[in-house]
Amino acid sequence: MKRRDKNTRTRHVNHLSNKRLNDWMWAYLMIFPTTAGLFVFYIYPFFQSFFYSFTDLGSFGQYAWVGLQNYVRLVGDTEVWQALLNTVIYTVLSVPVGICLSILIAALLNSKIKGLGTYRTLYFLPAVTMPVAIAMVWRWLYNMDYGLINSILERFSIEGRAWVSDPKFALYSVIIVAIWSTVGYNMVIILAGMQQCSRTYYEAAEIDGAGTITKFFKITIPLITPTLFFVTVMSLIRAFQVFDTIYLMIERNSTALERTQSLVYLYYRNAFILHEKGYASANVMVLFVIILIITYIQFKSQNKWVHYE
Amino acid sequence: MGIKRNLLVFLVICVSIALIAGCGAGQKGTGSGTPENASEGTSKEPPITISYGLWDKSLQPIYRKIADEFEKAHSNITVNVDVSPWNEYWTKLEAAATGGTLPDVFWMNGPNIVRYAEANILMPIDDRLAKDNVDLTNYPQSLVKLYTVEEKNYTMPLFWDTSALWYNKEIFDNAGVPYPDDTWDFEKLKEVAAQLTDKSKDIYGIAAKMHNQGGYYNTILQAGGFIISEDRKTSGFDKPETIEGIKVWPDLINEGLSPTFQQMLDTSQTSLFESGKLAMIYDGSWMYPQYSKNDYLKDKLGITVMPKLKQRGGVLHGVGAAISAKTKNPDAAWKFLKFLGSQEANDIFAQEQGGLPAYLPSVDVFVEQETEKGYNVKAFLEQVEYATMYPCSKYTSKWQEQETKYLKRVWAGEMSAEEACKKIAEEMNRILATE
Amino acid sequence: MKNKSNRQKVFIHILLIGGAVLTLVPFLWMVLTSLKTMTEAVQVPPIIFPERFRWENYEKALSILPFGKFYYNTIVSTAWRTIGQILFCSMAAYAFARIEFPAKETIFLILLSVLMVPGQIFLIPQYLIISKIGLLNTVTALVLPGLFSAFGTFLLRQFFMTFPKSLEEAAILDGCNHFRIYWNVMMPLAVPGLVALAIFTILAGWNDLMWPLIVNTSMDKMTLSAGLASLQGQHLTDYPVLMAGAIAAIWPMILIFILFQRSFVEGIAITGTKG
Repeated sequence: MKRRDKNTRTRHVNHLSNKRLNDWMWAYLMIFPTTAGLFVFYIYPFFQSFFYSFTDLGSFGQYAWVGLQNYVRLVGDTEVWQALLNTVIYTVLSVPVGICLSILIAALLNSKIKGLGTYRTLYFLPAVTMPVAIAMVWRWLYNMDYGLINSILERFSIEGRAWVSDPKFALYSVIIVAIWSTVGYNMVIILAGMQQCSRTYYEAAEIDGAGTITKFFKITIPLITPTLFFVTVMSLIRAFQVFDTIYLMIERNSTALERTQSLVYLYYRNAFILHEKGYASANVMVLFVIILIITYIQFKSQNKWVHYE
Repeated sequence: MGIKRNLLVFLVICVSIALIAGCGAGQKGTGSGTPENASEGTSKEPPITISYGLWDKSLQPIYRKIADEFEKAHSNITVNVDVSPWNEYWTKLEAAATGGTLPDVFWMNGPNIVRYAEANILMPIDDRLAKDNVDLTNYPQSLVKLYTVEEKNYTMPLFWDTSALWYNKEIFDNAGVPYPDDTWDFEKLKEVAAQLTDKSKDIYGIAAKMHNQGGYYNTILQAGGFIISEDRKTSGFDKPETIEGIKVWPDLINEGLSPTFQQMLDTSQTSLFESGKLAMIYDGSWMYPQYSKNDYLKDKLGITVMPKLKQRGGVLHGVGAAISAKTKNPDAAWKFLKFLGSQEANDIFAQEQGGLPAYLPSVDVFVEQETEKGYNVKAFLEQVEYATMYPCSKYTSKWQEQETKYLKRVWAGEMSAEEACKKIAEEMNRILATE
Repeated sequence: MKNKSNRQKVFIHILLIGGAVLTLVPFLWMVLTSLKTMTEAVQVPPIIFPERFRWENYEKALSILPFGKFYYNTIVSTAWRTIGQILFCSMAAYAFARIEFPAKETIFLILLSVLMVPGQIFLIPQYLIISKIGLLNTVTALVLPGLFSAFGTFLLRQFFMTFPKSLEEAAILDGCNHFRIYWNVMMPLAVPGLVALAIFTILAGWNDLMWPLIVNTSMDKMTLSAGLASLQGQHLTDYPVLMAGAIAAIWPMILIFILFQRSFVEGIAITGTKG
């Protein structure tokens, strides 16, 4: 009895291992281009940067090993802390506000309303527009003397500001642009999530006499948590890496720069303007660790609020 | 189903674009470098393409013209004139230098020359100058000196620039105020600026732009201060005269004669001047091609020397073209560089209103031609007599970064000039000590 | 009851129209400014319509920069990137989703970690690689790093994982190898996912700024995004011309979006619901 069982198992294993080898070959062949490409263009560069963070790499590629010096300097660098704070404020404001607005618009559009397609198209327009063009037009709208925003405010007797050049407002102005340009994109994803919700839940709730608001919070939101999870993870990662908008909207010699520059911007400035690539690499390693931690927390807390059907 | 078809159509279009375009690109790629093309050239030499990198967009068409002339004389050489905006020029150049892929010939400036020369990125041109009997005595000697590092010369001077007081004649005429001239001092400037400032019309008498070469470096010198000591070892920022020279600018803002710092960040001095919102500005002669060709400004533009503070003074700078030490075509690059320094090229530069050409005899061409049009470009020239060379050391960009960091707070009214200058001097001395 | 729901509908429309106006105003202002003279653009208080439409601003913008080249470079590089990603990512995704092989999880996690790394970190080393293989100032340089994507692999893997096991079991019994299963069975079913990835890649490629700016110095090898940024760069201070340039750079994508909007919307939605 025992013996026979063992026999069939070995046969089985033999058969499998042939198939297995075949599987392995195909699998490695098929992942080869992407794996190789990612290794050459992304993973190797990452380790190279990691290495550089322990050197004093400056102009033109000469460097010497300096150990932890860059990291020590980083801890004492107020600019790094300020940049971290800026990045956190940017993320904490732009992501939740942006996502809430996206949910709101998606919910409004999901109420069997006429003109759904038109609205969706209009709201999505910023997502297909180049960040460079977006930054250009917003800078113009924000312009202190000739901007549309200040002239509208003036109608209501509100004093205009230098929205992107005043250190007190610049970061918030950038955040508004960030929200403006991502709401439509996230809305489309969330709306699709809502449209997949099964009617039956709602019918059951209607029998119980639930109102629109109750249905929204008790049914819709829980049902779309997987979508919301995805949107949140992606938005957080993107927000922590913000660069383009700040680079394009804030003048380099503005006093608002210190109050708006993100960690990635600081990296860019140290690496390309101040020619301190070693130190800049240390900057970006910190950012990497932060993003790693946030993503980890996100995935860990996933069970608490994300409901998969 | 309809959606899926739509998606498929979309993909097919994508693929076909890539294929069609890809084929086109492929053909082009093989076409340009093949030896058959050589037979088209009149000379027997193989065709060579060299690149010429610069940062000033308004000079690009002029250098294209000069390159065209050069190509006529050297049928086997093609010159690509590549412009990168100032904000990206040095980033790209540094990346290219690290990767060994610099343009064959490219622009250099004072703040960067020492760093590039010491890293052996530029080709010294002394031997070639001597061999081809190119004499640089007909060029401003201060420029030649600026680009000579440890006895080796690295660039061909292209053009030079000083700053001046530019004004909008129309605004003066409307207010019935006489134009500025060389008798002015800074007090007079302020007095007239006050007369011309008309906030109801959104016009300011002057702009206090935060700019070193086009602004406060000049007033520092005029107040009797200095930026860096002769031996390049100590900062001059903590000298009372230097502080005096800096203070005049935030004063203009505080007295309401200039738009605020924030206003000027939102709308640049240039935009304001070009739309008739500023009566006077300080700016460098490098802006000449832009202002003199601007549709709105060209018949209202006036230029005169900068008013003096305690004395006359100003900084002088000039751009030189260097050859990459690693160029694959050193001979072609040298031929082009030599041509850039020739009278012919300098004359074209002058005739096309490029500014002050480095070859001194061509300067007369420029001055004569532009004076005839009614532009007092002599003002640029007059100031050269008492001008000081642009301050540089090895890590110029590092201490200039500190300079900007603190001075912008002064302009924004968040910090006193004294405090900022003290900080700058400290940081600058620390950086200079590492050189 | 009906009255109430009607009133509700009107309220919803008002909210939505309000939002749509906020979304559209910057675009309208861009168009209006692009048709003004500089003097009109800086008038206080601002005028909405210019005295006469200044189409010459567009001529000016198009003459300052070689937009024809920009369109060509952007379209070609984006198209190649898209095809590359669709092909390479789907192949890898299939293997990760449907085949068991040693070190699968480890390799996948390593690839996925690329997603966490800020893109700028790769700039300098990528630049050096491109320069070492002599591809600076080429359209190929614009394409190369963008051919490979961790995100695309992740997305399509999620997609492939949803297919029932029975799909390939039948094919295996017919003696198909994995490539055949991938190509003949899975790919046709994955079309929505592929389109989603395509749209994601197209948008990323079209909007990419830093990479083309660094890797291609010569004007005739630049993309629209980088070209536009350099238009804003030094000395160009004429807002109407800037806005004209911006419109010249953004209209093709907006047109493509309007033509294929359903695909766009579905594609983007898929990245969210499958991801």
